[in-house]
Amino acid sequence: MNTLVAQRKRNTLGTIGRNWVLVFLVLEFGYFAILTRGFASLNIVQMILFYGTEAFLLATAELFVIITGGIDLSVGYVLGFATVISSKLMVVFASRGLSPLGAIVTSILITLCVGLIPGFVNGVLVAKLRVPPFIATFSMLGVCQGVSELLMQGIPAKNLPPLAGTIGNGHFLYIVPGSGISFMQRPDVARGVRVIEIIPNAVVFALVFIAIFAFILTKTRFGQHIYAIGGNIDAASRAGIDVKKHIIGVYMISSFFASLAGIIYVMKYITGKADAGAASLLDAIAAVVIGGASMFGGSGTVWRTILGCLVIATLETGLRMRGTPTFDKYILVGVILIFTVVIERFFPDFKR
Amino acid sequence: MPRPQMPHDTPTPFVQTRTGKLLGRHWALFFLLGMMAIFAFTGPGFFEVVNFQNIIHLATISILLAVAETFVIITGGIDLSVGFVMGLSSTLAARIMVTLGSTGMGEPMLIVLGTLAGLLVAFIPGFISGTLVARFKVPPFIATLGMWGICNGITLHLCDGFLPIAGLPSVLPRLGNGYLFYIHKGQSFTLFKKPDYIPDERVRELIRLVPFSFILIAAVVLVFWYILHKSKFGQHTYAIGGNIDAAIRAGIDVDRHLVKIYMLSAFLAGLAGVFNVFQTGIGNYTTFSSMYELFAVAAVVIGGASLLGGKGRIVGSMVGVLVLAVLKNGLAISGVQPFVRYIAVGVLLTLAVIIDQLFPDLF
Repeated sequence: MNTLVAQRKRNTLGTIGRNWVLVFLVLEFGYFAILTRGFASLNIVQMILFYGTEAFLLATAELFVIITGGIDLSVGYVLGFATVISSKLMVVFASRGLSPLGAIVTSILITLCVGLIPGFVNGVLVAKLRVPPFIATFSMLGVCQGVSELLMQGIPAKNLPPLAGTIGNGHFLYIVPGSGISFMQRPDVARGVRVIEIIPNAVVFALVFIAIFAFILTKTRFGQHIYAIGGNIDAASRAGIDVKKHIIGVYMISSFFASLAGIIYVMKYITGKADAGAASLLDAIAAVVIGGASMFGGSGTVWRTILGCLVIATLETGLRMRGTPTFDKYILVGVILIFTVVIERFFPDFKR
Repeated sequence: MPRPQMPHDTPTPFVQTRTGKLLGRHWALFFLLGMMAIFAFTGPGFFEVVNFQNIIHLATISILLAVAETFVIITGGIDLSVGFVMGLSSTLAARIMVTLGSTGMGEPMLIVLGTLAGLLVAFIPGFISGTLVARFKVPPFIATLGMWGICNGITLHLCDGFLPIAGLPSVLPRLGNGYLFYIHKGQSFTLFKKPDYIPDERVRELIRLVPFSFILIAAVVLVFWYILHKSKFGQHTYAIGGNIDAAIRAGIDVDRHLVKIYMLSAFLAGLAGVFNVFQTGIGNYTTFSSMYELFAVAAVVIGGASLLGGKGRIVGSMVGVLVLAVLKNGLAISGVQPFVRYIAVGVLLTLAVIIDQLFPDLF
């Protein structure tokens, strides 16, 4: 009898332990909700998601690479590179008489293709030429920064089609209480009528891709092979996995997601610049680690990585709303990061 | 069935010939010399003593950080926090000088106290990173990334965001940018100070030799070269990086040693930070957000170290720093757009490692 109770207790503790990031996130949100008036509202939650979109994408990018035991330092500047390419292209296409929507869609498609190149080069360097990922991707960081600065010549792109901003800052669903709902398009209502906006487009766009790749990671053979490579690369190659091909693929996925983040940046802020993602690299790595992935590879899930991002994004929004200087964000992220790893050292049972 | 290869069957590959080995071992040095030869033609004023002095003077911080990173990388770790530990020391030293200055304390005292505070505070992040890595087995990347964030935040607090801390003793930049010898051709020769009859705006007429920063660099490089290559501490460092289990079995107190290594690294970063105050005369945040740590790692890798540990030399790291510094200076003097430098550094770094892979047994 007693052992049963003890066992159940241990199970509860284990569940909390395994999901401590989620528990932490709830506590964090609760803390800010109690201290800040108006924090626990639909708008704030959407704001956290909206401003966190690029972080979600970059962290997913980083996750794939980290699962293989590598690291991708170039994601921030691949993001910048993608913002430069897509904004330039949009301006060019729009001025050549393409319809705004056509210009936007074409530039997005071209950017996504061009965005695969840095990843491909990284992958080849890491897999075929055996350059350590840290060095290969740091080099790519420099190359992307240089190329995008050369393309920009110091002037942020302007005269983008206004439609880009409308899409990027729009919402998926609008509800006018009492008179109906509309998708994607802000209903024409008189000033002062309350419109409830639900889920920003950018978030929908990002989550669709993240969900697809979460599926690939967990349910397909490709995903399982990535974990196998991260767990034990020799065993994986002896088991007949084409390790090189998979690693190249992983780095390409990473730069694909970084370009996606760049495109969303352009749609949100209607501009493109080389250093758009410079500050988000370390946040992305921190989010992956807070989400429980090991830097040595072989573990980590998309869901927990998103939780890691949310921990950081909530912190940032919360601090901003409290009026404390956002410098504290850096300190707290650093503390949480170290705390995460120490927790997992002391409670190895928490490892998932 | 593959034909058995006879030793004399194929010509020796180039990488195994004596010239090949020499080139491979010292490729960074040859690259540096080649680059200097090219810039001598493309950059007017590149091949002058004044310019070389400038290159090294401006690279002081990078050199200190590269020495720090060399030790950490040899143990198989990495220290991402050096950039902001430097920022922390720099802004703290500046803040203390300004705060104490407003109480009317004498300038020499201010400078001594500020410098001491800047140097000592650096030990704290180093101790924490080291303890995390050694005792809590946190991967160095994560531990020092965490310290990166913490020091970044504290640095921002110390300078209230992005405001430079100004109002420091005016003698600081004179010390930081001073020279040992001032020669006015055919007229005078002074030590430490420019002759009084030359006003500031005519200072370019003087021949100024040996900046004070050289003395700092020489002292640091000599001391740490000795520690790494001649002392037991250095041997243990290589042992830990080469094979940590063997090092433990050989009776080395690895945990203690690693804590010391990270403290040493942070101390050098602190020294670089304090020097930055002397060089610029202000405490400033933005200086430190420009990826100093990654460039320091790059320099060390170009200098022949391996991120897996066990390999790396102080002199090599110095060559690595000089390659990056000369590249920056030479491209600027040759009128190339600054952005090309980022690309050049990237390509160079990758080449460094690929060349390193070609000569696996050499280092």
